[in-house]
Amino acid sequence: MSIALRPYLTCVRASLTAALSLSNFASQTVERHNVPEIEAGKSPELLLNPLTISRNENERVLIEPSVNSVRVSIRIKQADEIEDILVHKFTRFLTQRAEAFFILRRKPVKGYDISFLITNFHTEAMLKHKLVDFIIHFMDEVDKEISEMKLFLNARARFVAEAFLTPFD
Amino acid sequence: MLLLEYHSLLIHQILTERFNGPTPATIDQVIPDFDGVIYHISTPESKTKILVSLSIKCYRDLLKYGAQDVLQREYGGLIVDPEPGYDFSLLVDLEALPEEKEQRDDLIRRVSLLKRNAMAAPFERAFDTHYHLAAESSKFTSESAPSSSDTEVMAIQYRDEEAIYIKPSHDRVTVIFSTVFREETDRVFGKVFLQEFVDARRRAIQNAPQVLYRNDPPLEIRGLPGVNDTGAGDVGYVTFVLFPRHLKPERRDEVISHIQTFRDYFHYHIKAAKAYMHSRMRKRVSDFLKYLNRAKPENAETVKERKTASGRSFKVQS
Repeated sequence: MSIALRPYLTCVRASLTAALSLSNFASQTVERHNVPEIEAGKSPELLLNPLTISRNENERVLIEPSVNSVRVSIRIKQADEIEDILVHKFTRFLTQRAEAFFILRRKPVKGYDISFLITNFHTEAMLKHKLVDFIIHFMDEVDKEISEMKLFLNARARFVAEAFLTPFD
Repeated sequence: MLLLEYHSLLIHQILTERFNGPTPATIDQVIPDFDGVIYHISTPESKTKILVSLSIKCYRDLLKYGAQDVLQREYGGLIVDPEPGYDFSLLVDLEALPEEKEQRDDLIRRVSLLKRNAMAAPFERAFDTHYHLAAESSKFTSESAPSSSDTEVMAIQYRDEEAIYIKPSHDRVTVIFSTVFREETDRVFGKVFLQEFVDARRRAIQNAPQVLYRNDPPLEIRGLPGVNDTGAGDVGYVTFVLFPRHLKPERRDEVISHIQTFRDYFHYHIKAAKAYMHSRMRKRVSDFLKYLNRAKPENAETVKERKTASGRSFKVQS
């Protein structure tokens, strides 16, 4: 984890740990239903204040807590067209495998690149601090991966161009 | 495998096999190549007479720029009437092969270069025009040399939406490729690659041809039929400026072969880069998955049986 990124991730970790105090809560509008209240949005009194943590205008995290679920949305840094494409491809790749990633939401919240939905059932079945670890790890790695891919693409392009032009020399 | 081959590997293989094989055999194969080119290699009459036919989209353009002469020069006596549905045919008789091995290999090589030779005609004509203009302009001093912007631009519509334009002049030959990107990712990747083509000359290879890239038609070809500026930016124009250094007669064949492969080479490497990204993401996703699985507590079955000091076992109540 780079030094520059650390305060941001520490802040996300603390806020997320605080938000993840969930309890089982059956729906109060429909009998025998138990839905994530943050997604249903039927009862305003069950939703808590959403929280945005911004590193800069391009990187931010939105945490929306409620009584039995928390939605975490991440906007990944996109400095130019290439990163834009790479982030898009990468998040699409992940969301297509959402089934395997229990807490991954299939569609990101508007304005963000990827969203997670953690319900009380997840925190019951899995260790809470490890879930937070996973999200922090994800945020850390995804930046690294995108910039590595971009560097690789440039290096490859350079190599390919020189290989083509050398026979003319 | 970095650079593409100029010849068709399959034709090369089949002919080598047939030339060296002890018994003639029936062949009937359709072989596709780059740019929608289709070869048909068959033995219609007898097993010893191999007919190689070529179908190429822009054959009429090529004929206009002297393809007949080039093919006549390369293949001479082998040419027969084109097979129905194809543009050009060669007949190789296994019973009338040259004796020496080198000549046979040369024949195989020439036949497998069929597409390259057909496409070479406009390039050769452009190079000849360049020699002619250069000789003429050398009579003048550099100040009073006539501007030679009135030379014909040769357009070869070698794919449905893509074309090569060649324009000779007294001090250079300009080759322009138009290329279409099917999707956004290709466009962005293509831009990165082309930027490196443009920069390569400045950085590493000083003698390489100048490469320019733009999204609107360059001045040379503006106004030609088939060139329309849609403004959508999905068509890119790549210009190669070949200087007299590249046009020397002794290097001419090599340069023509090489520049023909540009479009395929370029797109091939975009696809290769995409494939690499994909496998990389796959690996990264499985890493993430492993990390997430660590959040699951140990399975209940793994709770070990414990034993007391006297040897009796019991299960820990959860």
